[in-house]
Amino acid sequence: MNGSSAKSRRARHPERVILFFVSGQLFAISAEAVQEIRSTDSLAGAAIEIENPELPKVRHVAERARQIYYVVNACLHFGLPVARPALVLILRQMRVAVLVDRIERMAEISAVYALPPAFTGDERHWYRGLTYLDDKVIPVINPGGFLQSDDFQHLDRVAKSALAQSELQGAAQG
Amino acid sequence: MSATDNTGQLTLVVLQIGNRRFALPSETVVELAPPVRLHAFPHTSPLIAGVIVRRGRIVPVYDAASVLIGRSSSAQRFYLIARRRADSASDLGAIPVNGECQLASGHILAPESDRPAWIAGRVSLHNESIDVLDFGALASAKPETTESNRAELSS
Repeated sequence: MNGSSAKSRRARHPERVILFFVSGQLFAISAEAVQEIRSTDSLAGAAIEIENPELPKVRHVAERARQIYYVVNACLHFGLPVARPALVLILRQMRVAVLVDRIERMAEISAVYALPPAFTGDERHWYRGLTYLDDKVIPVINPGGFLQSDDFQHLDRVAKSALAQSELQGAAQG
Repeated sequence: MSATDNTGQLTLVVLQIGNRRFALPSETVVELAPPVRLHAFPHTSPLIAGVIVRRGRIVPVYDAASVLIGRSSSAQRFYLIARRRADSASDLGAIPVNGECQLASGHILAPESDRPAWIAGRVSLHNESIDVLDFGALASAKPETTESNRAELSS
């Protein structure tokens, strides 16, 4: 393909991506951006619920290897009907974990095409671009698009208080 | 520069959306594409129904019927691909149409002052007055403003 608006970004080498579903919609994310894939059940013990009405897509923080991750519900992030997520993608170097329905498969893509300029909304943050695989146009996730820097600042404040409360409760029970 | 015939008339592509006919200056039209798969994915841009892949390009598809006739139409299965801006050959968009497009020519009359921005003028063809569209302005139309535009159109 020539790409949209002659602004395609061809990868020098094929890129490995993970294809996954959220509420029936297929997405791709670079395999390099994902540190770990876990079931939501296995994460439940490490997750703390937070009061966060300002950012409803994040309702939990999870602690993994002394690192705090904010758990983003991808249905709410993308404005899709809420489904029951079974998996969580823990992102690399992002302090973000993403709730998704299921993994489709791994694949190799040869190019990520720029979003056409007609797209002017939040999707410009959400996606690195689009790819074309097996006769399907699939949005390629921008891992940095799940939470903005001001979201992290807000969540850091909320999480600090939630974690302190959790530690107090743990100490009281112990 | 406008595409005109040897009588100085503007060449137009006349298309049917719902039960109404509209025209686009032929200079902006790239092609009439056959029915192809519409790919949809989450986004927040108004009017965009998805994208199609045509001749190696990813082309956004506008739900123009929702603005022009007040409702989406499932009868529109072909895609009229046009340039959103006259000065950009690569900034393309597609409008679903029913496939019955025809070439015509006529003198464009200026639109009335109260017409929406996406109506560039009017042309009289076989005693029928047809709105000539400004595709760039139509592509930028916001749903909240199109409600009043529809009321103006139907009055």
